[in-house]
Amino acid sequence: MNNTTDIYQLKNGMVLLGERIENVHSASFQFLLPAGASLLPEGCCGAGAVITDWLFRGAGERTSRELIETLDRLGVHRGASASAHHLSLNVSLEAGNLFSVLDLYADIILRPQLDADQFELARQLAVSELQGLDDNPRQKAMILLFEQFYPDPFGRPALGKLEQLKTLSFDQTADIAGKIFNPSLVIFSVCGNYDFDAVCQHTEAAFDRSSNSELTTPKPTVKEKSYTHFPAEGAQVHIGLMTPAPLVTSEHYYEIAAAVSILSGSMSSRLFTEVREKRGLCYAVGANYKALKDHSGIACYAGTTPDKAQETVDVILDQFRTLKNGITEDEIQRAKVGLKTSLIMQSESTYARSSGIASDHFLLGRVRGLDEIREKIEALSVDSVQEFLKLHPFEDFTIITIGPDAVKT
Amino acid sequence: MNFEHRQLDNGLTIIGEVNTKALSTAVGFFVRTGARDERPEINGVSHFLEHMLFKGTDTLSALEVNSAFDRLGAKFNAFTSEENTVYYAAVLPEYLMDVAKLWMQLMRPSLRDDDFNIEKNVILEEIAMYKDLPQFEVMDQARALHFGKHPCSNSVLGTNESIGSLAAEQMRSYFSQRYAPNNMTLACCGNFDFETLCTLANQHCGHWEAMDTSRTLEDTNGTFKSKHILNTNLVRQHICLLSPAVSMQDPRRFAASLLGMILGDDSGSRYYWGLTEPALAEIASMQCESMDGTGVFYSYICCDPDKTRQVMDVIQDIFAEINKTGVSEAELETAKNKKLSAVTINCEQPMGRLVSLGFNWVYNHQYRSVQEDVDAIKSVKLEDISKLIEQLNPGKFTMLSLGPKTV
Repeated sequence: MNNTTDIYQLKNGMVLLGERIENVHSASFQFLLPAGASLLPEGCCGAGAVITDWLFRGAGERTSRELIETLDRLGVHRGASASAHHLSLNVSLEAGNLFSVLDLYADIILRPQLDADQFELARQLAVSELQGLDDNPRQKAMILLFEQFYPDPFGRPALGKLEQLKTLSFDQTADIAGKIFNPSLVIFSVCGNYDFDAVCQHTEAAFDRSSNSELTTPKPTVKEKSYTHFPAEGAQVHIGLMTPAPLVTSEHYYEIAAAVSILSGSMSSRLFTEVREKRGLCYAVGANYKALKDHSGIACYAGTTPDKAQETVDVILDQFRTLKNGITEDEIQRAKVGLKTSLIMQSESTYARSSGIASDHFLLGRVRGLDEIREKIEALSVDSVQEFLKLHPFEDFTIITIGPDAVKT
Repeated sequence: MNFEHRQLDNGLTIIGEVNTKALSTAVGFFVRTGARDERPEINGVSHFLEHMLFKGTDTLSALEVNSAFDRLGAKFNAFTSEENTVYYAAVLPEYLMDVAKLWMQLMRPSLRDDDFNIEKNVILEEIAMYKDLPQFEVMDQARALHFGKHPCSNSVLGTNESIGSLAAEQMRSYFSQRYAPNNMTLACCGNFDFETLCTLANQHCGHWEAMDTSRTLEDTNGTFKSKHILNTNLVRQHICLLSPAVSMQDPRRFAASLLGMILGDDSGSRYYWGLTEPALAEIASMQCESMDGTGVFYSYICCDPDKTRQVMDVIQDIFAEINKTGVSEAELETAKNKKLSAVTINCEQPMGRLVSLGFNWVYNHQYRSVQEDVDAIKSVKLEDISKLIEQLNPGKFTMLSLGPKTV
């Protein structure tokens, strides 16, 4: 599992990260642009969702149609999304097309046409997508949960808020779009079959622009733990709950990963066993570690029919709370092999690895090598995880439910 | 990349694609059974049975099964469709034989009453979950409407009624008829030794008895009916269109898949320019789904209920246009490039490769290398697409719409 991450900084400050994967024909890259939901000016919630669509509606010399057709002709698989910290643009492609597509992305990021008619269409689509969330209560539950859990503005929904999206103006949004390329805060990562020196040279020329423009600096407002019920008619009650956990930079990071794995890593985990296997309360139940730069937690989702909602919440809370009472050697062994396998499989995917190294660089200021991660996983023990759980028991919960009736917490 | 193939005396087929450079290895059982093989009174049994396989054998409890997979670090799961039930796991190469052996054991489950009764609740929860996800509900309802009396109209999950009244004995009987070795394929991809896998299979599966597991294959054009289901709890209109396409056995399937992409890929397709780009619909997709002896083009559109009429008009125009002038060389080349890069990326991990390897065998008793698929995609010509449009007329469809408005 030998891997080395190449790092290069452009003259304008933008960071390039690369990891070569042998025996593949593809490459994947990702741009993290510093314009996530927490960095947007007041009243512009959802502008990121509009911008990720708007950028592709014409850039450089190409109209919307010419741009999309050019990308499609190159067989590009692309995605664009907004998170608390970033607008993220990602691409997977045949490695031979890398430079042609990088040039197109230089246009998209640095020279979008930002046409007013196209703005209106991008805004309307963002409004539609937000409205569509009501028909996807599972996804909506997690968005509402993050909003309740994270200090404002870090929990602001990247998809936006309806009243703000409806009144979002062309000028405000164009102003934000003009500030997404602040090179000292941009991270570019590439993985797969490529030549790093050539990528550096090419990117240096294609992204040769300095800019000191910055969006806002968030001033976080702490949230207390809470329970909020959102009434809705439906077949199920959708339950989201979240408890604070140390940051990725914490010395206990791998203990957190092991604890989450024991709770919800796979089908022998405690949540799956107690909630689904033994009691048949849910089809979907699971928990994940969610890391922002300065705030993180473990988020859990479960969906169940209304008459089982109370028992489901009670059993889940009990599993979180009693984890500190002890874990077994067998559990830690299963967690370790599960974590190691995930790691190796991630290293086979150019897409997964390009996201992984970009995220590492942002959260940790460096990229962890696969060997380093493997050593840390192997060093985990019952004692180290139990010690962590004593220091950080899972006791405080932010909870939301969507459904006919509230539960008692 | 090396292909291997063996059949045991009882008909169990073992296929493998060996790649000694792979970092992981994937293995799976492909059972040729699904909702289309069910009678109405046991509708949903294939999918329920898939859950029950994880409940263990005479010597393994459910908890022991889950722990055993997790001790191997396996990324494992299963899925059931109208016509297949697939169980798969990806592991590091050193654990491959252990995880393969576990699957072999699980293919002869106990199907205990206690486990059956608890898992029934989980199935009913899964049915409830999909009721809250209209994008799935609309597809299920549309499929039933389109296929009419054809067995592919059966719902994979079943209904509250069919699952509620299902007895464990009915499941055991279905299992014994469908999970015969001659109806199953064991497929493996990645870094492993084929001979060792065959020896293991002979040891654990060699005594299974072959049965008559035939399936009547007939194609259907569908009913071409239209139906609107009113649900005032919903906010958006969810529309599903189904029209006849080509089967997995049909060599035209590569052309049909490219036609689906030209019409309804999420980027740069006719639907994209007609519906998504002008913000008439936030989702508009179409793809070709080739099945055993039949196939469908399947479109899903999600839009503002007040724009439904306009959306349907645009769709009619798109199909009228394609019937009149066909597609362009540039559109075909673009679709090919998108498809080829998807094939390349998907096959870079053994888990991605396993499913196409397995299905090629299940449907056609044929090994197809990635290169053969690539060549088949590249060789599609404009006239192949034109002929398909003429033969299949995708503008004539079954329509189901679900939402707060009846249109």
